[in-house]
Amino acid sequence: MTTNLTARGTYEAENPIEISLREDFEFLKPQLSPPFPLTVLLTQEEYFNLNKALIFGILTQPHLVKLHIKHLHAIITDGYKSFTCILVNIVNELYAKLIDSVKIQLIWVTKEMVDVLAIGFDELLVALLRQCLNGDFSEGNLWLCLEMVTLFLTFWDCLLDEEPLVLTKALYVFLRLLADHCRVSSNVVIYALKRMEVEFCVLLLRERFSLCLNIGRDLIRLLQDLVHVPEFKGILKDFLLNPKQFRADGFGDISQVYRTKTPNIVPRWAVIGWLLKSCKKSYVEANLKLALFYDWLFFDENTDNVMNIEPAILLMVNSIPKYMEVTHTLLEFLLIVVDNYDIERKDIIIKGVSRALSTLVKKGVIGSLDVLIRCDIISKILREMLGKLVIGHVG
Amino acid sequence: MQSLEEIVPAASNNINTKFIVLEKGRIALEGKQKMCLALVADETAAVHFQMWGDECDAFETGDIIRLENSIFSYNRNNLLLRAGKRGKAEKVGEFTMAFVETPNMSEIRWVPDPSNSKIYVPEAVISPCSRVFPPMH
Repeated sequence: MTTNLTARGTYEAENPIEISLREDFEFLKPQLSPPFPLTVLLTQEEYFNLNKALIFGILTQPHLVKLHIKHLHAIITDGYKSFTCILVNIVNELYAKLIDSVKIQLIWVTKEMVDVLAIGFDELLVALLRQCLNGDFSEGNLWLCLEMVTLFLTFWDCLLDEEPLVLTKALYVFLRLLADHCRVSSNVVIYALKRMEVEFCVLLLRERFSLCLNIGRDLIRLLQDLVHVPEFKGILKDFLLNPKQFRADGFGDISQVYRTKTPNIVPRWAVIGWLLKSCKKSYVEANLKLALFYDWLFFDENTDNVMNIEPAILLMVNSIPKYMEVTHTLLEFLLIVVDNYDIERKDIIIKGVSRALSTLVKKGVIGSLDVLIRCDIISKILREMLGKLVIGHVG
Repeated sequence: MQSLEEIVPAASNNINTKFIVLEKGRIALEGKQKMCLALVADETAAVHFQMWGDECDAFETGDIIRLENSIFSYNRNNLLLRAGKRGKAEKVGEFTMAFVETPNMSEIRWVPDPSNSKIYVPEAVISPCSRVFPPMH
């Protein structure tokens, strides 16, 4: 019998969540086996701790799991809200470190929570979907993908009735995973997994297309990655030739999907800002900044794309006022590069940067350069130099 | 639990603290044992931390480490924090922790307190930041 949830390195301290769960389990152990009292009156705290103790029991004592789950069902007074909340926390904080037998129990109890329509079971499913990793062909990851797709197919009707949006999230995850799983054909496990993932995705796309529309235009991009799979090729074809077949209200043409933005995707500038702040060596940081601004230096709106110059300006503007040092260091870098990158051909560079700036405003990436030029917390000298660049000449 | 700015050199294993590893030096052999110096810090101060034996491979940059019953003392004229034989170093997390690089407690000159020679008091700042791991900017 195991009394650990996680595997631990030699010099690794035990996780406080695990300690706290075990403490409640050890403390309440005498109450976790029959005879159980007929009436239970618990304070809120006692109730929460009993939930924790039962979770620890369920995860670590597979042989007693029937007893524990019966006990759980008997004491529940909050629609399993506390129970699923603790499970979500375990998934988010500990999943990667959980030992295999605990992961098996975790999936088992998750199915149980879907079965009883526990409050918060959708969040639990989303937390587990997040642990299905792209680019990871390890046995453990493939196992989790298989468990999750099986769960979604098994509980299809119930999920559709109770929490249909969780199906949309699953579709996004499985389409992304399929791009991985379709690349490997020789592996029997992956082949079986791939077939189930295809089955789930096709079912949702064909039968409940209105739910899929929530993904927005990324849906088309994901499907295009899978165009070599006959089922998806067929779906893409029908998007173009036979859109009525999807019986979704208001869906008459693929352009409607194109126009729907995919929500909650981290913008490029934010990722670049994070990378910039993670640079430990100054030359790496300088290289990154030069890469970020390089297309500015020679920008020509006839041949260049505004998308290539967009991240730098958005990073500068969106870092005001919370990350002023980012705005400062980028603006300063740009001005130094204009002056020094190629002194002989400075006129070309000034023209490029000036065109870049006017294109960014013209295309509406930023409303006006005033957000920089009239920003009091940016040093005056930088603002003046920028002002001169805008009109295309630098002193 | 002490913050790093509170630690004072002493010949006893009395320090309990927590910090993040900012930079690791090269692993060297001292006798038969592996040894590795690291720059570590919390939100009040930085200090040089000496890892010993298997600790050198177990702890990486970005790890958050909790020290129990550890010692802050001179080793060949260098002032270092280390777990020591009676202490314990454990990884408790990673990546996200506020820290400062100044002051560096290893870069302070300490002298015996004139009124109690058993206690050290700071006399002067030798360098605001680590000279072994100089800051990038």
